Amino acid sequence: MAAVSMTQVFRRDRVGMVSLAVVGFFVLLAVTAPLITALYGKNPTEHYGQNETGLLSPEGLPVLPNGGISAEHWFGIEPGLGRDVLAQLLHGIRTSLLIAFASAAVVAVVGVAVGVTAGYLSGLVDRAFTFVCNVLLAFPALLFLLTLGPVVQTRFVGPEESEPAWMQFTVLILVFSAFGWVPLAMVLRTVVRSLREREFVEAARALGASRRHIVFRELLPNVWAPVLVHLTLAVPAIVTTEAALSFLGVGINEPLPDWGRMISRGSEVFYDDPTYMVFPGVSLLVFVLAFNLLGDAVRDALDPHTVR
Amino acid sequence: MTRYLLKRVAQAAAVLLAITALAFALFYAAPSDPALIACGPRCDTAQVEAVRASMGLDRPLLAQFLDYAGGIVTGRTIADVDGTPIPCPAPCLGYSYTLHQPVLAAIADRLPVTVSLAAGALTVIVVLGVGSGLAAALRRGRPTDRLLSGFSLLGASVQIYFLGYVLQFLLVYTTGLVPLPRYVPFAAHPAQWALGLLLPWLVLGFVNAAVFARLTRSQLLETMHHGYVRTARAKGLGTLRAHLKYTARGAAGPLVQLLGLEVGALLGGAFITETVFGLGGVGKLAVDAVNGNDLPTVVGTVLLAAFFVVVFVAVADVVVAWLDPRVRLA
Repeated sequence: MAAVSMTQVFRRDRVGMVSLAVVGFFVLLAVTAPLITALYGKNPTEHYGQNETGLLSPEGLPVLPNGGISAEHWFGIEPGLGRDVLAQLLHGIRTSLLIAFASAAVVAVVGVAVGVTAGYLSGLVDRAFTFVCNVLLAFPALLFLLTLGPVVQTRFVGPEESEPAWMQFTVLILVFSAFGWVPLAMVLRTVVRSLREREFVEAARALGASRRHIVFRELLPNVWAPVLVHLTLAVPAIVTTEAALSFLGVGINEPLPDWGRMISRGSEVFYDDPTYMVFPGVSLLVFVLAFNLLGDAVRDALDPHTVR
Repeated sequence: MTRYLLKRVAQAAAVLLAITALAFALFYAAPSDPALIACGPRCDTAQVEAVRASMGLDRPLLAQFLDYAGGIVTGRTIADVDGTPIPCPAPCLGYSYTLHQPVLAAIADRLPVTVSLAAGALTVIVVLGVGSGLAAALRRGRPTDRLLSGFSLLGASVQIYFLGYVLQFLLVYTTGLVPLPRYVPFAAHPAQWALGLLLPWLVLGFVNAAVFARLTRSQLLETMHHGYVRTARAKGLGTLRAHLKYTARGAAGPLVQLLGLEVGALLGGAFITETVFGLGGVGKLAVDAVNGNDLPTVVGTVLLAAFFVVVFVAVADVVVAWLDPRVRLA
C-alpha cells in the first residue's frame, strides 16, 4: 500500500523523473561502455595521438582546435598520451559507479545492522556506538584515504610492482564503507529509538516475540525509507570523493580510466587545452546534480512530513 | 551547565586520545617498514637505519606509542638522519625527515595561509548560506525561493577542482578581473591579502554555503510552524520580534552544529582548494607529505585536523546546550 502511493508521488514529481532518467542514462552508458566503444571503433587505452602523425603537436597538444575534436575523435584527444577522450569518459563511468555502488551496498548492510542494533539495545552498546561514531566523524577521512596508499603499497605489494586493479578497488571500497556507515547508522539509531516505544513493538513484546523477531520483523521493515534516501545521496558523495582522490594524485592509477585523474591531467594543461578538462568536469557535474535531485525527490516521496 | 561542560570536555579528550591511538596504529604499525616511508624515497640504507633508531622502531609498539603520545604532552628530543639531536617542544607531533624540521614547526609555518583561507571562506559561507536560506524560507514557493534553491543545489553538486579552474580561466586568465590567487601575509599588506585570496574564498565559500542554505531554509520553515511561534504571534508579538526571539533561537541548533564541524574541517586544511589555487597551507603540506611519503608529517596533519574538528564540534555542542535547555538536561 505504502509502496504504491510512494511510487505515485514520485511519478508526479517531474524533476525527480527527469533526474531518474539522467541517472539511468549514466548507468546504461556504464554497462554498455565496451559495446559503445567497440561500435565507435576506439578503446580507452590506445595512444592514438602518438601512433598517428598530425594529431598532436611536438609539445603534446592537440593540433586541431577545441582539444582535437574531429569526426574521428568526437570529444577530442588527450594531450600528451593522445588517448581518445570519449572512450576514456565512457569507461571512467564504470570505474566511478563500480566503486560507488559497491561501497553503498556495504554501507547499507553495516549501517542498518549497527544502527538498528544500537538503537534497539541502548545502554552500554549504545554508548560504545556513540563513542566510535564520534571518533570516526572527527577523523579526517579524506586525509586518511590519501595516506592509505603508501601503507597498502608497502604492506601488500612489492616496492617495484604496481598495485593490481582489484586491490585499488577493494581498498577504496573498504575505506569508503568504513567511514560511510556512520551517518546512516546514526540516523537509524534515532529512528529505531522512537519506533521501539511504539505500540506495535510493545504488542510484539507482550506476545512474547524474541528480540530477533522484533528487530528483523517489526523494526527493519520500518527503516527502509531513510536507508533508501541516505543511499541515493551517498552514491554521488562517493563518486566525487573518489574523483577528488584521483585529482590529488592517489586513488585509481593508470591505465584504468578515471574522471578525477582526467580532471587532474586537464588542470595541468588547462590554459593551453581547456577543452580536455571540460568533458570530465561537466559530466561529473551533470551526474552529481542528477543524483542529488533524485535523492531529494526520493526523500520528498517517502517522507510527506518534510516541509517543502 | 557546568556539569554538561565537564562531561563534554572529558568526551572530547577521550575521542582525541582514541584518534591518536588509531592514527598511530594505522601509520606506524600497519606498514611493513615505517622507517622507509618516513625517510622518503631519497634515503639510502644507512639513513633508513638512522631513522629507524630515531623513531624507536626497534622497541615494543606500546613503548613507541607512549613515547609519541608523551611527546605531545611534554615534548621530547628527536635525532635527525645524521644524528643531530633536535629539541621538539610540546606539543611534539614528531619530526619530518624530509623537511628536516619538527612537524609542528612545519605546520605552524603554513597555518596562517589556512587560517586566512578559512576565515574568508567562513564569512562567505555564513553570509551566503544563511542569507539565501533565510530569503528562500521567507519567500517560500515563489520564484526567489526556486532560484535560490536551484543555486544552492548547483553549489552542492559542483566540484572545487572543476569550478576553481573554470573561474581561474575566465576571471584571471581571459579577462584579468581578479589577480592570480596567492598568499600575502595580512600584516604585510591587508589589501593584497584580501585580493589574493578573493577567488579561493568565493569558490570554497560557494561550494560549502549550499549545505547551509538548504539547512537554514528547512530549519526555519519547520520552526516557523511550531506552536510556540504561533502562540507568541497570537499574543500580539510583532512578526520580526517573534521570528528573532523564537524562530531564530529554535532553528539555530543544527546550524551551529554544522558551523562547528565546518570551522574545524576548514582549519584542518582545505586540501583541494589549496591544491587548485597553489596556496601553501596545511592542506597542501598534507598532500605533499602523502605524495612524498613523509609519514610523520602525515600523522601530524591528521591529528591536527582531528583536533580542530573535535574542539569546534565540542564548542558548538556547548553553544547549542546554552541555546536549548533540553540538550543540557538530557
